[in-house]
Amino acid sequence: MSVVYCHIFRRLISYNPYRKKSTTMPLKRVFFWQPNAGSTVNSQILNEVSQCVESINGVKEGRWKATLTFYKPMLRDQALSAEFPREFIGISLPEQPNKYYFVLRFNKIVLESDSSIQLIMEKLQSYKSRVALNFEGFQYQLGDFQLRVGKVVPSHSENLRGIVMEVEYLPISSLEKSKQIMEEFFDIWQDAISKRSLPGRFIHIEPDFSDYGLADHYTSQHTAVQYTHVTSQLIASVQAVQTGRN
Amino acid sequence: MECVVQGIIETQGLCGVNKERLRVHEICLKSGPNLGFVASEVRLLCDLEQSEPTWTVKHVGGALRGAGAEQISVLVRSMVESKASKNVLRLFYALGYKLDHELLRVGITFHFQRGAQITVTVSSVNKMLKLHATDEAVPVTPGIQLVEVTAPATSENYNEVVAAVSSFCEYLAPLLHLSKPGVSTGVVPTAAAAAASLMSDGGGTTL
Repeated sequence: MSVVYCHIFRRLISYNPYRKKSTTMPLKRVFFWQPNAGSTVNSQILNEVSQCVESINGVKEGRWKATLTFYKPMLRDQALSAEFPREFIGISLPEQPNKYYFVLRFNKIVLESDSSIQLIMEKLQSYKSRVALNFEGFQYQLGDFQLRVGKVVPSHSENLRGIVMEVEYLPISSLEKSKQIMEEFFDIWQDAISKRSLPGRFIHIEPDFSDYGLADHYTSQHTAVQYTHVTSQLIASVQAVQTGRN
Repeated sequence: MECVVQGIIETQGLCGVNKERLRVHEICLKSGPNLGFVASEVRLLCDLEQSEPTWTVKHVGGALRGAGAEQISVLVRSMVESKASKNVLRLFYALGYKLDHELLRVGITFHFQRGAQITVTVSSVNKMLKLHATDEAVPVTPGIQLVEVTAPATSENYNEVVAAVSSFCEYLAPLLHLSKPGVSTGVVPTAAAAAASLMSDGGGTTL
């Protein structure tokens, strides 16, 4: 790394055990792997990404897993399907084991509820689970940052559909106040990962949280919205590759 | 699951135990005509007694059936609740649910531990003259309140809970008559009509 980056990096990852961590939700950015044109995602890339995290002194802490489920309406007349939400998504997050999140992306609605809402939906029988995706992998501690690197696989398959990375900055909950440091960290990360000459890059496209009625103060509802958007971007990316092949 | 009996009293008679005020806006939603192969209902409860209103999604399911169930003096039915954030009504509307009726319950809740965790709610059921206008609600049956005794149960322990609730009903017998929802046997004639109104659909504002 250059001298300038070394200085920034030391500041970014300096770990002060006496610094008070945010008592509210630390914020995070969720990235997805965008393969270069003509290439696809594979487990070798996932391994390289994990090794890169460890090469910048990320300490492996343990496993993590989030699940995203697409629900479809049960309709007596399929011709009327346009009257119902195009994407109704349910999400479980590892940091909130007793909660469940619903997102209606086109209606810009996000809901946080107890996990028992899933049982209510089963009893209502109006919407049923269609497809579920697991986001799972290892998490790493890197000073005031926590990184999660994970593969995206359908729940009953090992087919790798994508790679995601969460970058969480523990001391701050304000999206606005954290922008600069998150961008500085990502510059460091890009510098490190680019040396591995992988056929793609991580992308973060921040949703407009205010559309969902979410404020600057970060919450798990923000995470649920990010996962919804990342999933739609992953699907678009996979479809683009398939279209290119055809 | 939960075990339920309901009754009505003309005066409040329970005192000396832990109690809290109750002011709950109950919004009953039904699935739209094309949604689901069978119609479904869900209730959204907004607790207006808190400084910041809190929402609960509640699904009340079918009652225990069969000859054994008829012998039980208490209604045993499935019930699932989930706390939810304030967007819950918007979400269900967007999913295709429609407002069936709404009501405002105002009263007092008592909590007992008598062989089971028993909750007694004494409340007036109020209907809103305008959509969601809880400040302008009027009683469905002025001067008469609904008494509901509920206790959570599981499929493993509901017999014990039934026994606890039945025993509790006997304890309250000098004050009021409690019976399965929808059964008004034993209700005094002056309150019979009120009982039928309150215990059939809750007497809420129907749209």
